Amino acid sequence: MAAALSLGVAACGSKKSSSSSSSSSAGKTLTIYSSLPLQGDSRPQSQSVVNGEKLALEQAGGKIGNFTIKYTSLDDATAAAGKWDAGAVSNNARKAAQDSGTIAYLGEFNSGASAISIPILNQAGILQVSPSNTAFGLTKSGPGADKGEPDKYYPTGKRTYGRVVPIDDIQGAAQATYQKDKGCTKTYILNDKEVYGKGVGSTTQAALKKIGITVAGNDGIDTKAANFRTLAQKIKASGADCMFFGGITQNKAVQVWNDVHAAVPTAKLFGPDGVAESPFTTKLSADEQKVTFVTNPTLDPKLYPASGQKFFADYKAKFGADPEPYAIYGYEAMSVVLDSIKRAADKAGDRQAVIDAFFATKDKESVLGTYSIDQFGDTTLSDYGGNTVSGGKLVFDKVIKAAK
Amino acid sequence: MEAATIPSEVGAKRPSPLAFLSENILWFLFGAALAYYLASDFTTTLNDVKTGLSNGTIWALIALGYTLVYGIIELINFAHGEVFMIGSFVSVSLWQTLGVTDATSTLLIVLSIILATLAAMIACGSLNVMIERVAYRPLRNAPKLAPLITAIGMSFILQNVGLLWRPTPDASPDLIGSQKTLFTVLDVGILHSDVFAVAVTVPLLIGLLWFVGSTRYGKAMRATAQDPDAARLMGIDVDRTVALTFLLGGVLAGAAGMIYAIYNGTIQFNQGFTAGLIAFTAAVMGGIGNLKGAVIGGLMIGVVQSISDTHFGQVWTPAIVFAILILIMVFRPQGLFGEEVREG
Repeated sequence: MAAALSLGVAACGSKKSSSSSSSSSAGKTLTIYSSLPLQGDSRPQSQSVVNGEKLALEQAGGKIGNFTIKYTSLDDATAAAGKWDAGAVSNNARKAAQDSGTIAYLGEFNSGASAISIPILNQAGILQVSPSNTAFGLTKSGPGADKGEPDKYYPTGKRTYGRVVPIDDIQGAAQATYQKDKGCTKTYILNDKEVYGKGVGSTTQAALKKIGITVAGNDGIDTKAANFRTLAQKIKASGADCMFFGGITQNKAVQVWNDVHAAVPTAKLFGPDGVAESPFTTKLSADEQKVTFVTNPTLDPKLYPASGQKFFADYKAKFGADPEPYAIYGYEAMSVVLDSIKRAADKAGDRQAVIDAFFATKDKESVLGTYSIDQFGDTTLSDYGGNTVSGGKLVFDKVIKAAK
Repeated sequence: MEAATIPSEVGAKRPSPLAFLSENILWFLFGAALAYYLASDFTTTLNDVKTGLSNGTIWALIALGYTLVYGIIELINFAHGEVFMIGSFVSVSLWQTLGVTDATSTLLIVLSIILATLAAMIACGSLNVMIERVAYRPLRNAPKLAPLITAIGMSFILQNVGLLWRPTPDASPDLIGSQKTLFTVLDVGILHSDVFAVAVTVPLLIGLLWFVGSTRYGKAMRATAQDPDAARLMGIDVDRTVALTFLLGGVLAGAAGMIYAIYNGTIQFNQGFTAGLIAFTAAVMGGIGNLKGAVIGGLMIGVVQSISDTHFGQVWTPAIVFAILILIMVFRPQGLFGEEVREG
């Protein structure tokens, strides 16, 4: 009993001293955690992001000043769910929060998952950078955000979270522009009810109205349903000539495509970046591919600066395959974190100093182009790519300058 | 003895109108709701009913597996949904291995479907028997909770097998032009897949009812379900009868898995979980242990889902299905057609 008690006291004591030491500067090794869904059909995309992150760390020599950077990849998915799982996400965030050597956390891949990890890491005062979250409400309030967003994610009142990918008011506007471009007059929106899917559904809805396209409906789907035939009939009855699915591949995107295409073969089917991956595009039939259009922040490799071109070449050389769309954002998420640690200089072991350095990122030349991080933690990049699908692959169509 | 039977017979002859109403209130409500929707939008509702019935055939086939097993050993075989998933995987793997696509000649497509059905049925049947042998039989005399936990364990194990087998959702080759319209009745398009689902399911159901109702083995199953100890005294090999029940349940799940793959066109490793939940609900709705109840329960859930999708939005569908289940449990705890489980 006494031993247990003293052990408890010792544990408390050591935790206190180590956290104060990490906030001064003494540590030699800093850990960057990554948390992505590595099971289910998110795996190819996530694995590619992990590769991008590793590549960035490797090219930086694995060290910043005196500090050795350790990289730990965590999985926020469970087999039972087949995608990110709330329990797994909070386990990962807590694991990082309890490690006194943690300096930053890259993740989550899905916005809904980040909504769970942000508050935990915010309380621990750890910099979190997502390679892929686009949900509007994670950083800003307004249309596209829910009540209480984003403040409810930051219990300390200070911002600790940022992202390197343009957010969904920009994607919504890009979607609307792209749909108008393809001749849509009436669009039916389906969403998967998640933070991301519902969010991109409503930002797109707002943008469509603005641009003069009728929104025939915005329905949440039951992502566990076997099929969506009844819903597809409803879309047919509404007379919509286009459908937009706000959601991710894992939430039955292919089934939505099958059923809607069967009910309304002429309808053009639009998807957001959540379906911009091979597990989605390779599963569509040839006829479906012809009417499918996907917006995605990743552009044609040719449109990237020289460093970006080099990324694509290096990636292929190292991993023997072309990267999935978000790999370049994984690379950049790691780069901006390493850059922030570097700029924190002497205080590189101090979590708050690294957070401050991240928010002070200005005109950073990167593989994505030159960008800054604004006061909300969002990137100033705003170009979206419009893609068609052919031969089971995304084919870059054009850069969409969203009508704001 | 005689005195005790007379009042009950009298009671049976003259059910009061009120009792009759309360006994059948759920049917009235269901009928009234259906009539209301038919009156307000005939074609849409008819289409929903059609879609619901054809979706429901798959739930019915899976529900039969739950109900057969529950009827005989009073165990909820949670792994059953996963066995169904394996059925889908086996059939799609077979088609992929043989290289059958929608462009293959009709004769080969038909042959490959028959082959896949048999393969899925055999694979799932033997898988279910193995599960019973490994995970349930050693716990036959243990407290009820023990096999329940091993059932959940088996379910997770099989899900992980599915995950290793196909980590990402896969598309099944569209061998029958699943969503092409075959013919139109009253403005409702009957799709290839609707006909296919019914054409495969009905013979299986008839076969099952005949087997359970008219063969020696079926008789042994019914006897074991009623009283395993008495059945053993009568010389019935109870272990073999239970294994046979699992075989039948697995065979039906395999067929359902094959239909699901063709019908929907996408398969994934966690499809069994929801399907299992819905099918189990169907079995409970119809009266657990009751074969006819499981089939009607499955079809009803299909129709309810489909109508709810149209009128309340798909977001609310699971809530509505389970709200109806709660209503049924409150008014008729034994299910719509009554339980048929162990006596005493």
